[in-house]
Amino acid sequence: MEQREGTEMSSPTTTMPRHGRPQDDATDTASVLAAPRQSPQGRRPRLPFATPRLVVVGLLALVVLTPLLLILYQSLLSGAFFLPGATATIEPFRFIFADPDFYVAARNSIAIAVGMAAISLPLGAALAFLMVRTDMPGRRWLEPLLLVPVFISPVVLAFGYVVAMGPVGFVSIWARQLLGDVPWNIYSLLSIAIVAGLTHVPHVYLYASSALRNLGSDVEEAARISGANPFKVALHVSVPLIAPALLYAGVLMFFLGFEIFGLPLVLGDPEGHLVLTTYLYKLASKLGTPAYHLMAAVAVCIIAVTLPLVLLQRALLKHAKRYASIKGKASRQRPLMLGKWKLAAVAIVFAWLLFTVLIPLGGVTLRAFVTSWGEGVNILEVLTLDNFRQVFEDGTMVRAILNSILIGTVGGGLAVACYTAVGLVAHRKNDALVRVTDYLVMMPRAVPGLLAGLAVFWVFLFVPFLNPARSTLISVWVAYTVVWLAYGMRLIQSALLQVSPELEEAARLTGASPRRVITDVTLPLIRNGLLASWLLVFMIFEREYSTGVYLLAPGTEVIGSVLVSLMAAGAVELVAALSLINIVLVGAGLAIALRFGVKLHD
Amino acid sequence: MSHTPISNAADAAPTVLSVQGLQLAYGDNPILQGVSMNLRRGEVISLLGPSGSGKTTLLRAVAGLEQPHTGQIIIAGKPVFDSAAGLEVPAEQRNLGLVFQSYALWPHKTVFDNVAYGLKLRKVSAAETKDRVSDALRNLGLGHLADRHPHQLSGGQQQRVAIARALVYNPPVILLDEPLSNLDAKLREEARAWLRELIVRLQLSALVVTHDQGEAMAMSDRILLLNGGKIEQQGTPTEMYADPSSLFVAGFMGTNNTLKGRVEAFDDQRVGLRFGEHMLWGQARGAARATAGAEATGVVRVEHIDLADGPGPNRIPMELVTSMYLGDRWEYVLDNGHTMVRAHGRQALPAGPRWVEVPSDALWVFA
Amino acid sequence: MHPRFTRRTLVLATLAAIGVHGAAQAQSSADIAKAKAEGTVVIYSTTDQKQVSPLIKDFEALYPGIKVEYHDMNSTEVYNRFISESAVGSSADLLWTSSMDQAVKLVNDGYAQPYKLSDTSKLPDWAIWKNEAFGTTYEPIGFVYNKRLVDAAEVPKTHADFTKLLNTKAEKFKGKVTTYDPEKSGVGFMLHSQDAMTNGAGFWELAKAMGQAGVRVQSSSGTMMERIASGENLIGYNMLGAYALLRAQKDPSIGVAFPSDYTLVISRVTFIAKQAKHPAAARVWLEYVLSQRGQTVIANQADLFAIRSDVQGETTISGLQAKLGSAVKPIPIAPALLTYLDQSKRLEFLKQWNSVKAPK
Repeated sequence: MEQREGTEMSSPTTTMPRHGRPQDDATDTASVLAAPRQSPQGRRPRLPFATPRLVVVGLLALVVLTPLLLILYQSLLSGAFFLPGATATIEPFRFIFADPDFYVAARNSIAIAVGMAAISLPLGAALAFLMVRTDMPGRRWLEPLLLVPVFISPVVLAFGYVVAMGPVGFVSIWARQLLGDVPWNIYSLLSIAIVAGLTHVPHVYLYASSALRNLGSDVEEAARISGANPFKVALHVSVPLIAPALLYAGVLMFFLGFEIFGLPLVLGDPEGHLVLTTYLYKLASKLGTPAYHLMAAVAVCIIAVTLPLVLLQRALLKHAKRYASIKGKASRQRPLMLGKWKLAAVAIVFAWLLFTVLIPLGGVTLRAFVTSWGEGVNILEVLTLDNFRQVFEDGTMVRAILNSILIGTVGGGLAVACYTAVGLVAHRKNDALVRVTDYLVMMPRAVPGLLAGLAVFWVFLFVPFLNPARSTLISVWVAYTVVWLAYGMRLIQSALLQVSPELEEAARLTGASPRRVITDVTLPLIRNGLLASWLLVFMIFEREYSTGVYLLAPGTEVIGSVLVSLMAAGAVELVAALSLINIVLVGAGLAIALRFGVKLHD
Repeated sequence: MSHTPISNAADAAPTVLSVQGLQLAYGDNPILQGVSMNLRRGEVISLLGPSGSGKTTLLRAVAGLEQPHTGQIIIAGKPVFDSAAGLEVPAEQRNLGLVFQSYALWPHKTVFDNVAYGLKLRKVSAAETKDRVSDALRNLGLGHLADRHPHQLSGGQQQRVAIARALVYNPPVILLDEPLSNLDAKLREEARAWLRELIVRLQLSALVVTHDQGEAMAMSDRILLLNGGKIEQQGTPTEMYADPSSLFVAGFMGTNNTLKGRVEAFDDQRVGLRFGEHMLWGQARGAARATAGAEATGVVRVEHIDLADGPGPNRIPMELVTSMYLGDRWEYVLDNGHTMVRAHGRQALPAGPRWVEVPSDALWVFA
Repeated sequence: MHPRFTRRTLVLATLAAIGVHGAAQAQSSADIAKAKAEGTVVIYSTTDQKQVSPLIKDFEALYPGIKVEYHDMNSTEVYNRFISESAVGSSADLLWTSSMDQAVKLVNDGYAQPYKLSDTSKLPDWAIWKNEAFGTTYEPIGFVYNKRLVDAAEVPKTHADFTKLLNTKAEKFKGKVTTYDPEKSGVGFMLHSQDAMTNGAGFWELAKAMGQAGVRVQSSSGTMMERIASGENLIGYNMLGAYALLRAQKDPSIGVAFPSDYTLVISRVTFIAKQAKHPAAARVWLEYVLSQRGQTVIANQADLFAIRSDVQGETTISGLQAKLGSAVKPIPIAPALLTYLDQSKRLEFLKQWNSVKAPK
């Protein structure tokens, strides 16, 4: 806000007079300058919304609402909707509400959701504070490592935990040698909650660190001037000011707790701990023939919880923005000196990294290179590359790998294009269409990936002209794009916000139509943002696993869904090798992202 | 170059802030290159200068928010920074008040809590806190706003809260960072009067950063003009305005006409400046005193130029291009082909050839 | 000497003995011509692609011009995909699933077309139902255990043995027993329920013993095998013998035992879909799989068990009958399998299972 040197501000001149005379109001220049900002009266009446926007929103509504309505419809039938003799009834709900397993699963879901929030919030906030606000050593290389769990498939992580910390995992074996017994049970509900909490710390970290970064340093400096030492500053000023962001993250964690599938699938199976998503998955075989109507009923119950949470999140976000620090001068943020606490801080971070990243990934890597493992097995004797050979000799696996790469790169790019189209609908506007878009984008968030994939499968099966595409990657791509709509939108929107409105207004004044402004000014300016979004979407698509499960068919295999299927079949060597390949793919994406300085946080 | 200040009552007052030989650099980039100043009790000093001059850095260094590497800072007799002794007292222990340019009010606290925070940290009892905060708020006309939150206040109200917060624990010195730059032009003039009145009434000692010379002159007892991390000149406002020691000071402190030429002749006190075909006599400054034939710049305030009817000593012919109406006066734009000059007057004048008189006691020649 | 070596010579010898002529005799030439015109046969199956590839290769060598499009998935997916695709048109030509009850249900619901095999003399009666559903393998169900950690003396020889083992050696086996989760695995449910039908009270005693030993139930044999091989579990019950034997070849930790009081035997069921796009090719494939040549490959290269009585070797019906005598109890392909597909009966069984399994 520093004013230019020597600007003459004391004499109140108005606009430059043209002919040495004081000007009157409303000359041509004045009205032209005024036009972009306010809607002038007396314009030719026409459609309230531009046609392209309407088309995009229409398509969006179709793509989002069809699967949702299909699920709802299916939940009120007595059998699969495509079988003759399915009648309308609330029998599915009656069944699940009479099933004690449903209540157990619901209770477990809540327990895990609460546990997740309780663990990830304090840790995520503490990590964010350490990374953003202090002079803890190693911060630069630590940041990408911190975000690794976000991009690793939960199925892979869970599998890693079994190999590493299961009853005969290598960490457990060491523990038994050291302590005489294994003091933990990786298959207990508590363990699942803990693992879930710890692996979601990066999500909280992203929000907390972003909020801390946006904190104007002057409010903290003001506290220091008033007499507060650095710790009091953190306690009395920094933390309360990021409280809205933390609350938002907390609700998000709770909500994700209802959606997690991979972790409870792998870790909950042995002792039979069900959560709502795995209960749903189990319904596929409990009655001997798949019970779509029951599965849909469970899905409706899950959505009934998650949808309000999504709405709550939206409200919180708005509130948080209002609460943001009043414009602070962007002076350098001075980090807090940790002094003797440096070692403790590094230890905490390293401990989290060890448990959440190194141990499970180590487990996966180990298992991928051995033929067998466990008690009494000498690791050195069983090293092999055989598992990988099996993977590359198997047509399905190879196809899965190629498809994954394809859907990540090409599919990711196409998805970003779609997200951009939707993002542009809401760009610089604030009308009813924007609100509708907002809500439409939010809705898929509330549906677990598993069900979304199934619904897309049904749509592709029963809509005649879509049928041929069913067993191609297109169906998987559609499912992925819809499921990650909210995430992608957020990426695009933050890129669009970087463009100063004046740049677009200047183009309008020069004579460019709104469409040309977008193609000639807006899009080129956010090119880097688009590339960054593409990379992030690539990683997210690589990590995806649940959405493709019900779409899995020869031709639509991707690594994630193949992993789930292999897990169910117990082909563990293949799971390990394929998981490692998945990790490598994601790692490549991450490396490229970092190389090009893509900001992994909002 | 510092001038000895004219004696006044402040002379006898004790020094509340003393800065000696302060040097500060960001990496290889020197920001402050040896700054020294003293602030007496009841005095208002403005740190003036263009962006990048180091004035804000100096203020923040005094506050403890920037780390100089050489020098000394003493507040109310207590050293808070001494590079030789390796002493650096952290900001929270310096007991200063700082009003930020952005006000930096804590949005999650009420007005009352914002102001009370400093007392809370000093472990003042609740009852006493309530009294002192209410006093401070009343002093600044904010009594009825104690329970509001910052986002519910206007800009001006926020500023007053920031001031109250800085004053409530009676610091020996209050620092203000660009206090008027957030305000509209009209409000600015009112605010600077109000601020000056407040400081005088409360008998505060204040260090103010500003980039506006008009503001600095209106509000302060003394001005320190910084340029590139050094004090170019310090003195009272009248000294700074009427007696600039260098071209930079002359240029910064007022609105000027600049006439470039050569030193040609000398006379007693004055020096002759060859300006095109004419010679103008003016006051010699700096090297202009000595060197004949040197390139020199003549500076004369816009308000000191007159329009004359015909030729004469210290007059040059110019073409009046246009007259601009400023409300309280007319400004004339004159041009002779290679130099543009502005003058003030009371009525509109038609374009055409004119004679411009440059009074020799108003022309400063710098070389 | 590597076991494979002897097998390979056996196969080649048998093939030489039969000659192409023998196989072709079983198939009408009209069908073969039509099949070649169709060019493809689409199969949805639960049998691992890798296991089946020798079979496919041999078939394609025998009938050049007919390509096998083989899709392997788990039994739920096979069923799902088949009925949903059938609802809109057509799906696979053949289904080949180890989930016998699902197969029978589909046939019962009219999804199959009848076909009279040219020669059924070498196949057991219970393996063919209505000429629509056909059993193709003969796979024993037994115990799988960790050879490193379980003594040879402890390996149970009968079901009662197993119950006794769990009751007497409670400490050793606590938390270390595994079996199918009948709720998650269709095959698992079928095995446990058939077991209950065969053994009656004995089965529920055994289940109770497992429950008290804190049995870990899984949804797939692969997972169970993995956990036994690693030592996380010591012994598995009601496990697919063919798969275990295959694993035991590579992994010295795995041991397999078949109970001598009775050994359940399952058969992978196949049928030709009524709406098959390539019916002739499907028939040719079916004939092949049930022919001596096909069954020989099944027994010796696909590591499954042959159901045809004129195939020699250990991994055949004759081999098993020789080893286990009257203990073999094949599950017949018949409507009885539909009993437990009835929702209430199924849930009742599951309820009983859960109450017995839950440790007191």
